[in-house]
Amino acid sequence: MRVPETDHEITLDAALSEEAVLATYRRMFAALARDSGAVVDDPAFVDIAETLFAAFAEAGEDWLTHEQMRYACRAHPPDLLDNRLRVLKGLGAIREVFPKPNQLRYRASFTSVVGLMFIRRMMDDGGQSEMHRLLALEDLNVADPRTTMEQAAESAGNLARAFRLWALELITLSAGTIEELREQAPKLWGTEEIARRAQGLHGTILTRWPQLDRTCTELRAAIYAYSDASRRAAGRLADSAGTTRNLTLLPSETWRTFTQTASKERLAAVLDGFVFDAPAPWHDPAEIVHAVDEAPRPAPAAPTPPRSALPDDGPADSLDGGTARALRRLAEVAEEALAGRDSVPVQDLLAHSGEWVSARRLLADLAAADLNPELPYRLRWSATLTAIPGAEPAWLSHGHLERTGRDDD
Amino acid sequence: MTMTDPRDLVAGGSAREAAAHARARATGPLVLAPGEAAAAGMARLARGDGPEVAVPVWPDGASPSLLLEYQVAPISAERSGEARRVLAACLKCCWSDLAADPWPGGPAPVETVLSAYRALIGRTDDLMRNWAIGALRRLHDSAWIVLADGEVRLGPRCATWPAESHAQLRELMGRLPDPGDTVTALPLAEPPPGTESAVLAGEPLDDDLLGAFDERRRAELVAAFMAVEHAAEPVQEVRFAALRDPALRRALAEMLARRGRVLIQARERWTTGYDEAAAATAGSTLGEAERAVLVLVLVHSVAIPRAEGLLGEDTWLSPHPAPAEELRRHTQLPIGELDAALRTLRQAGLLTQVKAGEEAGGYVPGPQFHRLTPAARKRLQEELILAAGPNTPLAAAVRAKRRPTGGPPATPDHAGNVRERDER
Repeated sequence: MRVPETDHEITLDAALSEEAVLATYRRMFAALARDSGAVVDDPAFVDIAETLFAAFAEAGEDWLTHEQMRYACRAHPPDLLDNRLRVLKGLGAIREVFPKPNQLRYRASFTSVVGLMFIRRMMDDGGQSEMHRLLALEDLNVADPRTTMEQAAESAGNLARAFRLWALELITLSAGTIEELREQAPKLWGTEEIARRAQGLHGTILTRWPQLDRTCTELRAAIYAYSDASRRAAGRLADSAGTTRNLTLLPSETWRTFTQTASKERLAAVLDGFVFDAPAPWHDPAEIVHAVDEAPRPAPAAPTPPRSALPDDGPADSLDGGTARALRRLAEVAEEALAGRDSVPVQDLLAHSGEWVSARRLLADLAAADLNPELPYRLRWSATLTAIPGAEPAWLSHGHLERTGRDDD
Repeated sequence: MTMTDPRDLVAGGSAREAAAHARARATGPLVLAPGEAAAAGMARLARGDGPEVAVPVWPDGASPSLLLEYQVAPISAERSGEARRVLAACLKCCWSDLAADPWPGGPAPVETVLSAYRALIGRTDDLMRNWAIGALRRLHDSAWIVLADGEVRLGPRCATWPAESHAQLRELMGRLPDPGDTVTALPLAEPPPGTESAVLAGEPLDDDLLGAFDERRRAELVAAFMAVEHAAEPVQEVRFAALRDPALRRALAEMLARRGRVLIQARERWTTGYDEAAAATAGSTLGEAERAVLVLVLVHSVAIPRAEGLLGEDTWLSPHPAPAEELRRHTQLPIGELDAALRTLRQAGLLTQVKAGEEAGGYVPGPQFHRLTPAARKRLQEELILAAGPNTPLAAAVRAKRRPTGGPPATPDHAGNVRERDER
């Protein structure tokens, strides 16, 4: 089913295609219409009917109430729906389940649904597939032993009329503008298949009822006229073709099927006899020289970083030697401060140098040694604080640097 | 589009020349039968130890480099830089006597050429090797080298370099590194006694025509000739005096006609194509798979967009790529064959690859489709319709038009076993 296009922007193309759709509707129901304004003037009307019928099929024996119908068609404007419901009810496509006043439940007519399917098919190919079906059915009919000569004559007469009208429409088109022909012809012209079927049918009738000779002559003439009109229309298009325009005359599905199913041989045969240039690029000497000079060079190996000229003990302890060396240095600093004793006052050590920068460095090293659990030195601070203005450092916390007992490892 | 009718211009006697030139354009340098003379306008190349070949030479010693002076893009080669460096490596190995002309030189093993290339670009990885082998194959396909039995020789096209341009190649050979790690070259092949290599200039094809013009006009004619024959796209009329001036254009058309070519006009631009008579005998290098793939691309990028109303212009070029995935998944062609065919078609300028993102992209008809004559374009349309819709009235109309009037009924055509059935 088509998605209703109510909120689409209206373009010129869309308007034109809508007009084409409506024209087909009008033509199809011209025979039934009471006046020329009696056919829908918006293709959405048909979409609404289709939506409704689908909803009825879904609902089954529950039928549908007015509200349910409204809900099923919620994508369409409500006033359009009301209009449709009025017409569909008026013509009997939708009827009350039971014919009595204040009936709330409705059902759809089978005939209308089938009719709609037929409409959609006619839209697709202008009736070609209908003609196929019709011919297939008639073929079965005339072969049926129960069919009477009168029935066969009638069916042959109908077919003859259909073919004649079809041919006439094509002939008129062929005399018109090439654009119109290009647009309409593929829907109207018959494939060889249709002509062959029709001729088969004609043969069957003639063999079975030789006395229908006259009717059959008319049918034959109609079929020939139709084939001829088809070929003439195609011929005019082929002559006017330009160089790719006629590709539009096959539907894209036919092209797709061709690419997907054709064998390599069948594809290749299209280009039989076409001549193309062999590859022959020109390589001028100047361009060869240029190409060599411009060759992308691999990036040169990274230059070695500059090194000191002095002997270098190499990277042996660079990996984790750093930590060990730092520990060794801290131990040396602490041992130097202790000078063989087990405990020294920190304030003496710090005041010893007499200037803050050295004292600060020493304090930092001692604090680091204190905080490292692997080293056997601890700082133990007391609450005493001395302040000696003018000295460096002027403020001193008192405490002791001690060697702890874990020296043995 | 208009087309100059070559039959007005070509005298009957030069039909052989025209056919030979068209064949050389369609299939590459021509192998001559023993004792066969090269057509006028072609040089005969004798190498001493093989069949002689004929290559077309251009009027007045021109070469396609002339296009650069006019800033017209020549037919582009895929990865041309790489191909030229590999060609330089071939020259390094095959051009044994720098005092002589490059062609014919001597044979060199492929491995030697590869190591010369390696030395030239300073890379040794496998990727480089694969690229170089691909470039060797492309050079072989376009007759710049001959690759056979693991050996490389310089191809006939190397004989078409103008003599005055050899100096810069000599200078280049002097500074290229020697192929280091393998034998430098095969021992110099002594030419068999009694035969010698030679480039024999053929009879000039255009002298009578060009002689009628003064130097300037003569140069303008040659420039326009080179441009329409060798530019990638149709060239603008305003750029070339010999295209603007009807008298010169007529002379140009005759120069082309002598080579089996016709001028094709598309609005204010000109290019050339095969004339019908010459095309009939020209032959083709395209294999079955290549032609099949080309047809698939034409259907996807021209016919389907046309049928869906997406393609406005009446041309066989298209901005709608045939999706690579569609070709790969939804056709009857094996993938290996498809890929090889796509490669060949790309190199020949028959397809152009369109890249878009990781997965998208595909192929459109290449610049060669500018060179189809209006008659060939129309025939292509008809052949496609006959193949894809053999039962449609349109196909019947095409067949009916082709059938000689009063002749026998149509024979089954190649597109399918289809006969006209509507006649009892």
